[in-house]
Amino acid sequence: MTKLLYIIFAGIFFFSSSISHALEVIEILGGKANQIPIAVMPFKSFGAPKNIAKVNTVIKSDLSRSGLFYALDTRGVSASPNSDKEVNFSQWKSLEAQFLIIGRVDFLKKEKVKVSWSLIDIYKQQTILSGEYVGKKTQIRAIGHKVSDKVYERLTGSKGVFHTKIAFVEKYNNEKYKLNIADYDGYNITSLLDSKMPIISPRWSPDGEKIAYVSFEKEKPVIYIQEIATGKRKLLANFKGNNSAPAWSPDGKKLAIVLTYNANSQIYLINADGSDVTRLVRSRSITTEPAWSPDGKEIYYTSNQGGGPQIYKYNLDSSEISRVTFEGKYNLYPSLSYDGKLLLYLTQDQGKFKVAVQNLLSNQVLKLTKGPLDEAPAFAPNGHMILFVYKDYGKTTKIGTVSINGLKIDPLPLGNKQVQEPAWGPIKN
Amino acid sequence: MKKSILLATFLGVLVAGCSSTELQESQPLNPPQPELQSMQADDNQGTAYTSPDLNLLELRGNPLLAKDKRGIYFDFNKYVVKPEYMEVIQAHAKYLNETPAANMKIQGNTDYRGSHEYNLSLGQKRAVAVKEALNSFGVDDSQIETVSYGKEYANLDCVEQNSCGEDRRADIVYTVE
Repeated sequence: MTKLLYIIFAGIFFFSSSISHALEVIEILGGKANQIPIAVMPFKSFGAPKNIAKVNTVIKSDLSRSGLFYALDTRGVSASPNSDKEVNFSQWKSLEAQFLIIGRVDFLKKEKVKVSWSLIDIYKQQTILSGEYVGKKTQIRAIGHKVSDKVYERLTGSKGVFHTKIAFVEKYNNEKYKLNIADYDGYNITSLLDSKMPIISPRWSPDGEKIAYVSFEKEKPVIYIQEIATGKRKLLANFKGNNSAPAWSPDGKKLAIVLTYNANSQIYLINADGSDVTRLVRSRSITTEPAWSPDGKEIYYTSNQGGGPQIYKYNLDSSEISRVTFEGKYNLYPSLSYDGKLLLYLTQDQGKFKVAVQNLLSNQVLKLTKGPLDEAPAFAPNGHMILFVYKDYGKTTKIGTVSINGLKIDPLPLGNKQVQEPAWGPIKN
Repeated sequence: MKKSILLATFLGVLVAGCSSTELQESQPLNPPQPELQSMQADDNQGTAYTSPDLNLLELRGNPLLAKDKRGIYFDFNKYVVKPEYMEVIQAHAKYLNETPAANMKIQGNTDYRGSHEYNLSLGQKRAVAVKEALNSFGVDDSQIETVSYGKEYANLDCVEQNSCGEDRRADIVYTVE
C-alpha cells in the first residue's frame, strides 16, 4: 500500500502541470474503480445471544471506512458457502467481487465466543487466508476488528488500524467536559477524566500507555500526563501563564510543549518526568502546535511570523528554520505520517476550513475535505485514515474519518454528543 | 492517468495476493479496556482572601473599573488594543499602582474559527497586549498574570448570528474583588 500511495502522489506530480489541480486529482482518484471490491457474507451463528454485534457487519464497516475497499451488497445472494469448495465463483465474478469473506461464530460456555473466518480470492478460486479467534463475548467487536486487520494487511501490504484506540473530548454546553477513550470507530467509550473546565489537545504516548492533555481546571491551561490502565496522573507543566500543546518525542522520553509565562506562546522541550525545561525557538511571533518528525530530528510548528499562521520546521541538529506551507494564507495544526512523508494540517481555502495533506517530497497539496468548518485532523498510525472534526448543521461539532485517498468520509456513530479534539492511538502488538 | 492508477491498484493486489493459504492459530486479543473510575479534575482551585490593603471600595465604586467595562475587544486575527479602551486601561493601571497588594488576571479569548491551540496563542497575544498597555502606565508585571481561554467559550454560531466580535476579547479579572 505504501507503494500505491507513492504511485498516487507520483502520478499527481507528473501528470498535473499546475499545482492548483487538487480538485481534478480528487476526481481522478474518485470512483469505485480504484477500490477493491469485496463481499463480506453474513457469518453463520450458533447459540448467539440477542442484541450482540454481528462480526461480519463490523468487518464490512471497517473495510469500507478505509476507503480502499468497496463492500458489495450481499443481500439477495442466496448461497452461503462454508468453504472455497462451495463458492459459486462465476456468480461472484458477475457481481464483480474480487474477494469474499466467509465465517462462522460459535458462542461457547463461560461467555466465550469463537470466530472462524476465511478470505477467498475469486479469481484464483481459492482461500488465501483464514483464521480463528477465541475471546470473551464482550470482545466480539474487537474480534471483528482483528479479522479486518488481517484482511487489510493481506490485501494492501500495510498494517490495519481497526484494533486501535482513539481519544477525544466530549463537551456538554460550556459546563462539563470528559476526556474519553474509545475503539477507533467510536464504540466502547470509557472516560479518563471529568471536569467542569475545558480539556484540549490529548496526545497518546508512543507506547499507547499514557495520554498527555491540557486541562483548564486550574483556571488556566496546564498539562497533565495520565496513565490509561490505572487512571493515575501527574502534573507535567504548571508554569506562570499558559501551558499547552503537548507533543511526545518519538522515543517517548521528552515532550515539546508551549509555555507563555507573561508573553506570547513559545515552544519548549521538557522531559516526560517534568525535569529540564529548555526553550526551542525565541520569537516575537506566536509559535505553537509542535509536532515531531518520526525520526525525532525535526519539529514542525505553527507560527504567524509572516502575518497569518503558516507551518514551519525546526531542525534540532542545525537549529535551522524553514517554512513548509506556501499555498493559501492560513495553514496550521501540523502533524506527520508515521513514515514522515506526508504532512497533515488545517487550511483555509476560499473562506472554508479544510483538512489538507501535503507530500513533503513534491509539496503537492491535496484537500481531503470540503469544510466549511473542519478542524483537528489526526493521522491513523498507518497513515491511511484521518480523524477530523466537522461542524454539524446544529450547534455541535462531530468527529468523522476521511480516507487518505479522499474517497470515503464517514462519521463516528457518537449520537448527539458534542465531540472535539480527536487523537489516534498507536498500533499495539 | 486513470488507467495507470487502476493498474497500480491492480498490481498491488496481485502482488499481495499470490502466496498460498496461510492458516492461523488462535491469537490473543488486546485485553478489554479496564473498568475505570474516571478521575475527577481539581476544578476551581485557588485561594482567595480579602484584606483592607486591597482598597476594594475603590475597585467596586469607580465606574471606570466597573465589570461591564472590563472587556477589551479586538479585530479578526488581530491583537492591537484600540485607542477607545485606553481610558479604562489607564484607570486599572492607577488602581494597581496605588494598590500593590492587588493582583490581576487578564484572560484572552477568540472566536471559534481555527484550531484550539492556535486560538489559545492568539488569545494570549490579546492578553499580553492589554498587559503591555498597563505596563506603559507603569504597572509592574508581578501584579499581572496573562492567561488565555482561546476559543473554549466561543459561540459556535457567531458567523450566523453576526456576533464573532463579542468573542474576540480580553477580560480583566481581579484575584480578589
